[in-house]
Amino acid sequence: MVLSMVGLFSFNAMAHGVDESTRLFLQNNTGVQFFPFMYIGAKHMVTGYDHLLFLAGVIFFLYKSKDILLYVSMFTLGHSLTLLFGVLGDVQVNAYIIDAIIGLSVVYKGFDNLGGFERTLGFSPNAKMAVLIFGLFHGFGLATKLQEFQLAKEGLWENLIAFNIGVELGQFAALTFILLIISFWRKHHSFAQFSTASNTLLMSAGFMLIGFQLTGYFMS
Amino acid sequence: MQHTLSNKALFKSTIIALVIAGIVLISFILPAEYNIDPTGIGAKLGLTALANPGGSATISSNQSDELNTENQQETDIIEVIVPAGRGVEYKFAMAQFKKMEYQWQTDGAALFFDLHGEPEGDTTGYYESYAIATLTEMKGSFTTPFTGVHGWYWKNTSDKPVVVKLTVGGEYSIVGLKK
Repeated sequence: MVLSMVGLFSFNAMAHGVDESTRLFLQNNTGVQFFPFMYIGAKHMVTGYDHLLFLAGVIFFLYKSKDILLYVSMFTLGHSLTLLFGVLGDVQVNAYIIDAIIGLSVVYKGFDNLGGFERTLGFSPNAKMAVLIFGLFHGFGLATKLQEFQLAKEGLWENLIAFNIGVELGQFAALTFILLIISFWRKHHSFAQFSTASNTLLMSAGFMLIGFQLTGYFMS
Repeated sequence: MQHTLSNKALFKSTIIALVIAGIVLISFILPAEYNIDPTGIGAKLGLTALANPGGSATISSNQSDELNTENQQETDIIEVIVPAGRGVEYKFAMAQFKKMEYQWQTDGAALFFDLHGEPEGDTTGYYESYAIATLTEMKGSFTTPFTGVHGWYWKNTSDKPVVVKLTVGGEYSIVGLKK
């Protein structure tokens, strides 16, 4: 099989580091791809342990469904805004820095749950605002993940909306799961006993995320 | 909110969180993700291997009998090992309009490949593909449309490492494996 081929295909693409099958899929399928984008969004959220850790911290001490709904809505509002704005406006944010800030949000929430701000500042910063603001950063994180795939202009809006719906569905699925575990655990007397340890570990996980991402930043 | 911790307990919690994070980062995460292994624990546990996804390549001979280039320019025989479930790139620096003759074969499994070139000094990630397929062997030649690095990306979707024996001839200098 002798080949002398020059320039049969040429396309812009990122490094080969991008998930190959997803990259090929997106190159071969332009236009509106509603369900695939929804799936990618949901998958990212369910496997995005940094987002999940933050959510777990947020609902740790929320007992009323009304409160849970309110806080999760704040978080959703925040990350939807920056996800849409980030991708549509082609805002390039360094993924390592954003992911380090997401790590910081986990530390923040763990510290807050320990009553750390009450103790050190004498007051607790508005929790709803904090969730909204960190939600904005989480959205930029989602945007950078999506921008790794060269997105076609054609059908961008629809695909973005689909991705965002997927993110919310994934968040809902993960949240249900976290909430189930926490609710069961709350019934048990060990909850109060271990709440300090849990939030200490949550903080620790946040510190790990920060260290991991900042190392990546300085190495890139 | 829970009952507020005492200052001492809060301080203790924060320090414990930092210490655990530090230990886990230095012993496990950094070795596995970035091959940074100050303690040596990562290497002992085999974690640093995760951070070296690249294959390995050896240049076994630079005298090829199989490939007779027209004016006996450089020829090389290179063995590239593509780990299971990984992709590796092997590249050559070439000037514009230079020809490379090549042949390669695997020791069994077919590999997805993308033979392509990247222009010199380009930062956008642009590349031009000359051939894309999934094969066990291929023979051919290409002429470079621009100055830059040109070569193969092989992806091994099987669960065993695959050895590619690549024989090349032409006017090039070896860049080698791209990490």
